[in-house]
Amino acid sequence: MISSQECASLLGREPRFDDCMCSLQALAHLPKGVLSETKKAIAYARRFNDEVVRPRALDLDRLTHADPGYLPWDLVEKANEWGFYTMFIPRVFGGQGINMPASSYVIEELSSACVGIANVAFVHYLGVAGILASWNFPLANRIFREVAEGQKTGRPCLISLAITEPGAGTDVEEVELLDRARLGCHARRVKGGYIVNGSKIFISMGHVSTWCCLIAYTDLKRPSENTVSLAVRTGTKGFSFGKHEDKMGQRVCPASELIFEDCFIPDENVLCDTSELTWKTTRTIPQLVEQYIQYAVEVTRPGVCAFATGVARGAFEDALRFASDTVVNGEKLINQEWVQARLAEMYRNVVTGRLAYAEANYANSLPGGIYHILQFKPLYYYLKYVPQAVLDRFVTPLFGLDIVKKLLVRLYVDGQSMEDQRRCSGWASLAKFTGTDIGMKNCQIALEIMGQAGIRHERGTEKRLRDAKLLQIYEGTNELNRINLFATLIGRSIPGVRVFEEGEQGGRHVG
Amino acid sequence: MLAEMFSELKSFEELARSFAAHELAVRRDEHDRYPFGPFFDEVVEKAFGIGLFGITMPEESGGVGQGMHALCVMLDQISQVDASLAGIVFTNAMAQEVLCAAGRKDIVRDILTSATDARGALVAFTSFCNPSETMPAAEAQKTADGYLLSGSIEHAVLGSLSSRALIPASIRGQQGYSFFLIDLSDQWVVRSEPVFTLGLHACPAVDLRLSKAPGVCIGAEGEGPQYFSQAADRMHVAAAAMECGIMKGSFREAFAYSTERFQGGWEIVNWSSLRMMLADMAVQVQIADMVLDRAASAVDLQGQDWGLCSRAAALHVGELACTLTTDGIQVLGGNGYMKDYGQEKRFRDAKQVQCLLGMVPLRKLAFMGELMQT
Repeated sequence: MISSQECASLLGREPRFDDCMCSLQALAHLPKGVLSETKKAIAYARRFNDEVVRPRALDLDRLTHADPGYLPWDLVEKANEWGFYTMFIPRVFGGQGINMPASSYVIEELSSACVGIANVAFVHYLGVAGILASWNFPLANRIFREVAEGQKTGRPCLISLAITEPGAGTDVEEVELLDRARLGCHARRVKGGYIVNGSKIFISMGHVSTWCCLIAYTDLKRPSENTVSLAVRTGTKGFSFGKHEDKMGQRVCPASELIFEDCFIPDENVLCDTSELTWKTTRTIPQLVEQYIQYAVEVTRPGVCAFATGVARGAFEDALRFASDTVVNGEKLINQEWVQARLAEMYRNVVTGRLAYAEANYANSLPGGIYHILQFKPLYYYLKYVPQAVLDRFVTPLFGLDIVKKLLVRLYVDGQSMEDQRRCSGWASLAKFTGTDIGMKNCQIALEIMGQAGIRHERGTEKRLRDAKLLQIYEGTNELNRINLFATLIGRSIPGVRVFEEGEQGGRHVG
Repeated sequence: MLAEMFSELKSFEELARSFAAHELAVRRDEHDRYPFGPFFDEVVEKAFGIGLFGITMPEESGGVGQGMHALCVMLDQISQVDASLAGIVFTNAMAQEVLCAAGRKDIVRDILTSATDARGALVAFTSFCNPSETMPAAEAQKTADGYLLSGSIEHAVLGSLSSRALIPASIRGQQGYSFFLIDLSDQWVVRSEPVFTLGLHACPAVDLRLSKAPGVCIGAEGEGPQYFSQAADRMHVAAAAMECGIMKGSFREAFAYSTERFQGGWEIVNWSSLRMMLADMAVQVQIADMVLDRAASAVDLQGQDWGLCSRAAALHVGELACTLTTDGIQVLGGNGYMKDYGQEKRFRDAKQVQCLLGMVPLRKLAFMGELMQT
């Protein structure tokens, strides 16, 4: 019918098959265990919602208004007790090792009840992603083991990710903008480590985390070539917390200011210094920084889409319940056609959000994605079924060997094409702004259907609207993500196209 | 714009602007903390002092004797800074309009002329619902001396401040509903704690529980829907004025921020996608202002379809305000989401104001229904 050469040529045209049929390609290679694992994780999340989230969500939100300094220690202990902080950490690092894409479905479940509490349970994985993306598995192992130990002892050990600075939010999410950013978090190389000065803001769960994955710069004038990620333990001399932000929503999940004053970080806590990786890779340093950022956000942005899908679903459920229970103009709302049409639209939005994060996760399961290697069937089943003691004794120590480090860097850095990585990045951005926009939309429709009832706190719907707005802002504003989608999957096919170059600045050729 | 076209309104605009700047702007965050912080009694007293609680009532009734234009100008100015006070003014004005529609200007006069403080001048009202939509949950029983009301009233705005409330209740054995004036200090009335809501925190509402509470029927029995409709037709434009003010405040803050905040080496206003967002906001503000102007004129002049103009203005400007204030946060990014800036409050207030006088979709359907009748 058609030659394989012609087929490849035709499928390589825009829209490229490889980029728009992620699930179709990924599913064929997915281990079967992923499905049953995911179903169990969702069921577990539903039980957590019933027993922990729903009974507390509104009271806690109200409490945060009465006491803006409230920190969710009690919730953190609950989430720790339920195992959420180790659930998606690979078993080789002492975690439960549930496949990471399943986290999105769990996030949706928790967020359908309360996205603030969902963040309390899952923002920790931003830190986990930041550490995993650093390719420093010995240090990752040390920190993740502490998280696992914290679950056993009942003393939670969480990880936060600190990137945003007072003068730079969007700029630090994109390597092209990094050198033009107003940065202030400086890491000075000294004998035996780094001395950090500066501050970070809006760091989710900062106050209640034990470790912070800190992004700092050894040269503030050329940060794209001088980025370091450091693991900083709470209590380290020179590391303190500033104010606790007074947010509109997601109030149960604190956003912290982190202050570093001559804070010494020893070499053993350096996650990644991109300038020291060059001997192992063919990539330039800015490319490595980009790869580092992308590895993290290609996981976290679908996660934000999942948060938003959960919000959209919660708003839909609120509206459905209200419409079923309320009589207006002598007729149940649910029997009025305009309401049915609105509910259908809301349902569509939920499904669209879910498809978006699922597809972005499938993109990450393809070459270029962080899940690709983890879902390689022999490796997946080995890590899943080999007894923990064997992993601990024979596998984990291998991460300390230089040859293994080189191999991992080969696999995760040079082994991934930039083109493949950009597919993951594009899908992550698409999911992020799609999900978060519809999250807001559903909250607005729910309030429209509910009228006066919707604006009352005890109904929970107004809280969803307040909570949802933040999702359009963090993990890169939706505006940045739109441009990133353009840069990664659209503009590349148009010759001469550049992005991030307005304002007489540099920018990047994408076409 | 309203004040520019009608020079006599200039003084009202200036009064409201100055009041908002001096009394509201500085402690906006603190006022918004209610019910978890103190209520801004002092400000409400001053608002009473400058006549904000009787703007559209005739002078002989103790009011200021102005039309909807003046009320809109003042609500617009106040809402640019803090819409909560505007919510108080609005609710009280709506109660007064219902009383007038029912032919009870005498009650308005008695209240305004005898009031020695703000609380004495205010009348609580269920300003976020159209009682016809869900029918009141309170029932009035006719007795030889008047009426005894039982049941519940949800979301009586100003119920924690005022000593009296104008509430809808159905009379036992009759269709429809009537309005009753009740004494909130009566032992048969139980007020809840202030209801915590999305926005307008300092415009508090309470739920009421009535156990054979005496009430005075306002106007004719069963005529509540007609009185509500007459009053609402005038007041929809006032809700639009609040939204318009919120929009102006949000745009102003966003624009100012965009010229100060740097990203990618430039002030963010220089990035075209953000400038496009600001342009959309600016256009929306202009449109809202024009719609408000036209609708307020129509109401005051009682021109053709003035009621429809007023309703359309509230529906349209309400939608614009919800869109604009969402972008108003987005322009400021993370900072817009924090209470240090006024954007998140404007976002919440805009959505809450949109709910005034009944559910938006039902107001749209009613609007179309009226068009079909004419």
